This record gives sequence, C-alpha cells and structure tokens, in this order.
Amino acid sequence: MNSILTRINWFALAGGAATIALIAASLVAPWWQLSVGDNLLNINASPINMNLGFLDTSFTIPFLVALNIVAILTLLASGIVMIIYSVIPNKSYSKHLLGFGYKKPLFTVLFFVIGLVATTMICQSVVGLNLPLMGSTTSTLPIPLVSGITLTVVLSAGFQWPFWLAIVAAGLCITARIYHRKVATSEPEVVMVAAAEAKTAPIPVAK
Amino acid sequence: MEKVRLILTLVTIAIVVIPIVGMILAYQGNLVGLFVPPEINEFGEDLMGGEDGPGMEPPTMVGEPQYDLEKKTFSVTFQYSNSFPMDITVKSLTGNIECQEHGFHIGNASLSDPVSIASGETGTLTVVGSWTDEAVDHCRAEHVDEEMIDVVLVDLAVDFSGIQIQLDPSMMQQGMQIPNLALLQE
Repeated sequence: MNSILTRINWFALAGGAATIALIAASLVAPWWQLSVGDNLLNINASPINMNLGFLDTSFTIPFLVALNIVAILTLLASGIVMIIYSVIPNKSYSKHLLGFGYKKPLFTVLFFVIGLVATTMICQSVVGLNLPLMGSTTSTLPIPLVSGITLTVVLSAGFQWPFWLAIVAAGLCITARIYHRKVATSEPEVVMVAAAEAKTAPIPVAK
Repeated sequence: MEKVRLILTLVTIAIVVIPIVGMILAYQGNLVGLFVPPEINEFGEDLMGGEDGPGMEPPTMVGEPQYDLEKKTFSVTFQYSNSFPMDITVKSLTGNIECQEHGFHIGNASLSDPVSIASGETGTLTVVGSWTDEAVDHCRAEHVDEEMIDVVLVDLAVDFSGIQIQLDPSMMQQGMQIPNLALLQE
C-alpha cells in the first residue's frame, strides 16, 4: 500500500485535476475583466472564453473563439496526460507524458499575461487610452478619435479568481516536474529483480 | 517510447491547426467577419438608428419654462424618446448659460434627478437652473429694449451610464432664447 502511494506523483495528479477544473471555472468566469462606465461595456478576457459585453448584449469574435478552442483542447489534453502520468511515473514513456503536460498551463498563463500587458501598452501608445491592469482609473478619449466631444470614462479592471487558479495549476505542474526525479528513482529494485530473473532463466530465441 | 512522443506531437499539432483552419474555412467567404462579427455591425446600425437616421434625437421641450423670481431659478421639462436598442440612464447634466452676444455668464443649469429610460420608451427630464444678480444687471445695461435674449449653453457635461460626455464650445452652435431677466424682475 505504501509503495503504491509513493509510486504516484501526487503533484501531477493535483496539477492535472486543477487544470481540468480551470477549464470548467474559466467557462463561467473570466481571468481578467475590464468594465467601462457603470458596466456599460465589459471585456471578459481569458484564454478559454473571451467576449465583449455591451449592456445585456454579448459579442464574440470568431477568430478569438478559434483560439479559445485551441486553449481549451490544449489544457484538456495537458490535464488528462498529467493525470495518466501521475499514476504511471516510472514507465519508459512517462517522461514524454510529463514533458507534454506540465508546460502547457504555465505557457497559457505566460501568453495570457504577455498578451494583456502588450494590449494595454499598445492602447496607451497608439490610441492614448490608459487601460489599467488592476484597479480603477479615469481615462479621457483623445480628441482625434472623437472630434469636438471629450469622453471621460471610468475604467475598472481586475484579475478574477480563475486567473489565480491558473497560477496554482501551473505551479502544481512545475512542482510535478521537479518531484518526478524523486518518484522516478524511488523503486529501482523492480528493475534489478527483473534483470536477475532474466539472467537465471534466459528466454529462448525463436528462429 | 518513440510512438508515444509521435502521438503527443501529432495531438499538439491537431489541437492548434484544426480549430483555426476550421474557423477560417467557415468564414472563407467573409474573412472580415472572422474578426468583426456581423452582430457588431447590426448592433452599430441599431445604435445609429438604422436606415431611419441617427438614433440621437434631441429632446423636445414640454410646456413653457417656469420662473421663480424670488429665488432666481427656472425649471424646464423635456421629453426624450430612447431610440437606442438599450436602456439608458442619464445620471447628471450640467452646463453654464452665457449671453450669446457678449459671452456674459448668465447662470447655470443641471438635471434635477437622474433619469432612466427603457429602450423604446419616452422619459421626462427636468432641467433646473438659476441666474445671478450680475446677469440681471447685464440685461438692464446691455439689452434694454429687448424682450428676449439669445443665450447659449456652454461647458455642457452629461454623465451617461458612467461615461462623462463634454461638448466643446464649437459643438454648441444651437442657441436659445430666454426672457429679458431685467424685465422679468420688474
């Protein structure tokens, strides 16, 4: 019983489960939300589900939907592979499973944060619109966009709980990679016994 | 072992390529729609009033303005039909009234209470304001024989569902007429 417990990479199991839970959570809540005015315009951003909400009307951009599907399938495959790996960490192909699974949540978080920061910087430098990553700010739309009219809007933004869950999932997957060394070297006796048996009773080669 | 690696590589490629290629194929006749969905265009047209013209129609004044000579205040009621495809809330409206001829500050105006108007409904906006003693003196000195004075609303600021809209003086071309305050006081 104890050997079964030590043979499982618990961090990988938790990381895989957290990754799959992250997909479900991200379908109901965004990773990051930007509100314009009194919820006049909401931008709900996450790699899983990206949409714009104007009052009661929600819009999706087909190309972003395709990218969302890519992210869902990537994370789903990563979660499933991590769970499979977690119960068989000593197989010859286990390292490939781990290599496939552990990086994807981390890369998803990194790409999302880089994309978000880049978008806010582009808005600032090209349009002159100051988008906050967290907190509230009052921003004035520049005159070249709206001639003769000055629009001042309150922008509120913040990371939502699925974003922190994504960081936890990525952290567990990285820990699983580090823990793999310990799990993979925990039962060398099985290999030695098999080698010893092979020495005493060689298998006849069939012609 | 190599077989597992090959399968995982193929899965990675399929996961990335199939959704993107599928979406491009679905929108191959309208690649702009891949980035700007038709719903946004339809919504924009609804917002601008569609084929009937712009959706932002000016409010119409109801009845005559009411004047309180003792308090030097006035009250004007407008009706506004919300032709936008959504409910709107006008939280505040403020502006300064100036004599159009001399640019003299007459007084100010503001919305008495926030107004919410459902889509397709008509709401009533009551604008209240006041004038100054200096405005009465100005009317007495500069507009002696005039019954009505041309005024203009400047520094107009509207808070619409949390968005502050300020109109530049160049946008405020539409003048109004008010009774000569000096005559009104007598």
